[in-house]
Amino acid sequence: MADSSQSQAGTQAPLDPTTMSNGANTELPVLPGQPQDPAGLMASMADPTMMPVLPPMQSISADEIALYDRQIRLWGVKAQEMIRNANILLIGIRALGNEIAKNLVLAGIGSLTILDHENVIEEDLGSQFLITEENIGKNRAEAAAVELRRMNPRVNVIADQEGIMTKMPQYFAAFQIVIATSQPFEMASTINMSCRMFNTKFYAADLHGLYGYVFSDLIMHSFVIEKDKSNIPSKAGTAETSTRMVVHVETKKENNKLREIVTKQEMYCPLMLANSSPLPPETIRSRRAKMRVPPLISCLRGLFDFQKQTGRQPSGRSEDLALYTKITNEKHLELQLPHETLTATVFRMFLQNLGTEIPPTAAFLGGQLAQDVINVLGMREQPLQNLLLFDGDDFKCPIYSLQPVFDPSLSMMEPLDVGMAPGMGVNGNGSMTTTNGGGPVSDTTQMQDDAHQAQG
Amino acid sequence: MTDSHSTSNPKQKQVVARERFQHRALGSTHDQLKKARVLLVGAGGIGCELLKNLVKSGFKEIVIIDLDTIDLSNLNRQFLFRHEHIKKPKALVAKEVARKFDPRATIVAHHANIKDEQFNVEWFAAFTIVFNALDNLDARRHVNRMCLAADVPLIESGTTGYNGNVQVIKRGKTACYDCKEKQVPKSFAICTIRSTPSQPIHTIVWAKSYLLPELFGVSEAAAMNLDTSESANNAEEIEKLEKETAQLRELREAMGSDDFVRKVFDQAYKKDVERLLSMEDYWKNKKAPIPLDYETIASGSENIDPLVAKLDQDVWTLQQTFTVFKDSLLRLSKRLAEERAAALRENQLEPVIEFDKDDEDTLDFVTAAANLRSAAFNIDPKSKFDTKQMAGNIIPAIATTNAMVASLCILQAYKVIKGDLGRTKELFLSKANMTGDSSDLPNPNCMVCSRVMMRTKIDLEKATVGDLVDILKLELDYTGDITITTESSQMTVFDYLDDDDDDEDSLAKRRDTKLVEVGVGNGTSLIVLDGGDDEPRVDLQLFVEDMNAEREQALVVKFVFNDGEKPEIPRKPAKKPTEMNGTTTLDGEAQSAATGSKRKRGQDDEVEESAPAKKLQTSANGATQEDDIIVIDDEGAIVLD
Repeated sequence: MADSSQSQAGTQAPLDPTTMSNGANTELPVLPGQPQDPAGLMASMADPTMMPVLPPMQSISADEIALYDRQIRLWGVKAQEMIRNANILLIGIRALGNEIAKNLVLAGIGSLTILDHENVIEEDLGSQFLITEENIGKNRAEAAAVELRRMNPRVNVIADQEGIMTKMPQYFAAFQIVIATSQPFEMASTINMSCRMFNTKFYAADLHGLYGYVFSDLIMHSFVIEKDKSNIPSKAGTAETSTRMVVHVETKKENNKLREIVTKQEMYCPLMLANSSPLPPETIRSRRAKMRVPPLISCLRGLFDFQKQTGRQPSGRSEDLALYTKITNEKHLELQLPHETLTATVFRMFLQNLGTEIPPTAAFLGGQLAQDVINVLGMREQPLQNLLLFDGDDFKCPIYSLQPVFDPSLSMMEPLDVGMAPGMGVNGNGSMTTTNGGGPVSDTTQMQDDAHQAQG
Repeated sequence: MTDSHSTSNPKQKQVVARERFQHRALGSTHDQLKKARVLLVGAGGIGCELLKNLVKSGFKEIVIIDLDTIDLSNLNRQFLFRHEHIKKPKALVAKEVARKFDPRATIVAHHANIKDEQFNVEWFAAFTIVFNALDNLDARRHVNRMCLAADVPLIESGTTGYNGNVQVIKRGKTACYDCKEKQVPKSFAICTIRSTPSQPIHTIVWAKSYLLPELFGVSEAAAMNLDTSESANNAEEIEKLEKETAQLRELREAMGSDDFVRKVFDQAYKKDVERLLSMEDYWKNKKAPIPLDYETIASGSENIDPLVAKLDQDVWTLQQTFTVFKDSLLRLSKRLAEERAAALRENQLEPVIEFDKDDEDTLDFVTAAANLRSAAFNIDPKSKFDTKQMAGNIIPAIATTNAMVASLCILQAYKVIKGDLGRTKELFLSKANMTGDSSDLPNPNCMVCSRVMMRTKIDLEKATVGDLVDILKLELDYTGDITITTESSQMTVFDYLDDDDDDEDSLAKRRDTKLVEVGVGNGTSLIVLDGGDDEPRVDLQLFVEDMNAEREQALVVKFVFNDGEKPEIPRKPAKKPTEMNGTTTLDGEAQSAATGSKRKRGQDDEVEESAPAKKLQTSANGATQEDDIIVIDDEGAIVLD
């Protein structure tokens, strides 16, 4: 591992949006703490603690079943085993990161690496429950890791104090899932593309006060849905949506009832494409549906573009507000949304909330995202496809599937077979490649059915 | 604390750094919530998340109450608790851990039952807002009533697996917890359990609530959730079942003898099944059961280690099941014999062994006994893990759903604190998404919140029934045609009909009776029913508080009016409530056409929900004939098997 990555470091720049994002933009996102010394990088890459090697898949112990009893009753032992063997990277450990980390650690994942190069400041105490006053001035990841380890000693929690800018693309190869929180669009997109190189699934999420979003790019993901057989049986080969396909159907008999075990597959597109894709056709076609689309989507796209152009978030200055309003109005138009939904109040509320973090929004988004990750690891349930918007002022949480209409670029971005990539020499974290394989799974957990019976 | 006080000064607002984000995002709501007094009922899955959110959001005064202690199976979601906290009180540990979230917050913890007398209406009335984070219907209903009585807004929430819900309850403004009828608890017709099982749950209930108690406990048909009410149709069958029970109880005499296992086995899986088989009508349309043969199964299981019982994820083979049955039966027999000997020495009551999902011996026995019966009746066997869930009524629970529901509770609380009830919503969370609908209006026919509620101070040493009746006439203009009962025990305190029929002596006696002598005490809830023929008033609920310090005053019964004003006690709605638009109870903004039509929809839903439940209860009695077995499944639907 160390050898190959060092040879790579000599020829390839660390994560740099300008070289990774098809060169669409020449400006660098301004990120503090970007080191100039490549030797430092190599040292970090060689550090064995940075890339935990997980033990081979083991069956779960009686102690673990007792501890995780109430969740195993929901998703079954097999899913719990897959969760237990997962290796996940969480970038950014602020309010949203705290919530995601808590939920994943409680669920019992194998290893969680938290990456954050910033130090704790007083503002952080407002919504980040993993840290206290004593942590002010200390590295955020280090501080949060202490509490996370106490929360569930079975999980291997690794704090990485490096900046994301210092990471080589192959840093992401060891992880099954990478979650980027509080990253500017360009950086999130760059991480996304690096992950795709190694078939690593990707989430991006952020919150602004009462508002927030979660985006997912699972590349290609198979999952199992178990249900009572209906009059119209599921058939392999059926395209259920433009991205979802039924790939395998099994039938079993349970208590004289026929049950279907349906394996489905979702195809994803990266953040960069999703961000320029239209709303789903069924939304665009209906005026009522368009009226219901939260203008938050335009506000977010406006923010991404503003960041691209200026390298920062809009301030209260009038020229910033003018530029931001102009961009956002363009985005709203581009999305074919009715102009009356993007009101002055919407702008005022969004800008007032911009860049702030409050506990309930963090908790909601952190819960949504972590549950999706857990379902993806267990290969159960329909995963997020692909943008979830949250409006905590109006209690709205719609999901939109944003897919490029023409996808010539998509064929260029199919995940590389890791073993085949010349010069990459990614070490075999066996569980990663096998778990990402698309075949049918035999996770047929009866528990789900029983769980429903227990509902009061 | 001093910091927070200085920030609430509107003239010079100095926001401390840690509150900067909240202040920007929430504006004046943030100032208001810092002054609120919060009650959090429950420190479990939702409670832990709520406490974190409350403290971190800037609430400064929080009272948390929970009667439970921490268990290992809590740790996957109740994130304030660690392994070393197991067996400690949830409320106290939660308080200690949550203090670190913001040392400026004052948290008071009670390791107590919210239904305790000390937590009366007056106590509830001191809070700005109450959060329910409970796991049972009874406590939820209680807090709902207390909050209605104290006129304090309540944020009600709950989760099951991936599903969750949040509701805002405010007297007169939104629907209360009891405005919609709740699902009746699952019950089974006795004949389904004893004679015609068709699903795993039937054999599990049989093993848990019939076989185990008959052998090791008190036989309590009533406590079994079994419906034994007789009707002409099934009287004969019930009689047979009783005879069978008597035979089984006789077997208890054989406990400890060498052939005890065989005797129990033959009675339960051979003789009983053979008897059922002889009732040919039963099996016309379904597969007949097959009696089990002891010799055949026993001979095949000689070499099986009883430790197979540890494999709780696996569905055991018939031979493995038999081994666990035998082994657990002997374990339980030995235990009971030892307990009996000890009880005899110490002159105590006859000991019993009851089912406990965390008691391995009883769980092993129920799993094996149920699966043997399933084998006889051609029903799929269940693993010990699954049996534990079904017999122990375990509801799956995960951290993420709790976190999301607790988050929504706080977001709703922001609206309540801002005085923006019109923008609160009834929210539902499911695997797929979150949906919301504007909060329902109160149901005018709700048995709970259509009542007018009032705190009543009574000098319990002196006050008589007559004193109470007189002040109701005097202060609230009742005619005297009233009936007063206690809510919990339904005891009659006063009935105006007695006035008409009985002789003067008894009435006078009744009026002179002290209230304490008819069961009225501190914390009692009394219901005053208007017996007037035309346009009776809605029921009045009085929450009794002992007068204590104010005792010297001349008045021995005194109403505590909210806002100091005598309340209007409205007339009951006409029988057909469709045209009601609730003008007496609703504020202006809730009266829009949209919400008005919505309430009608709500009522329709309710009729649909409650009707099948009632039908079920009546038809369950006659469920023995032929093959129409009626089972209440989780959706409350009727399943004809």
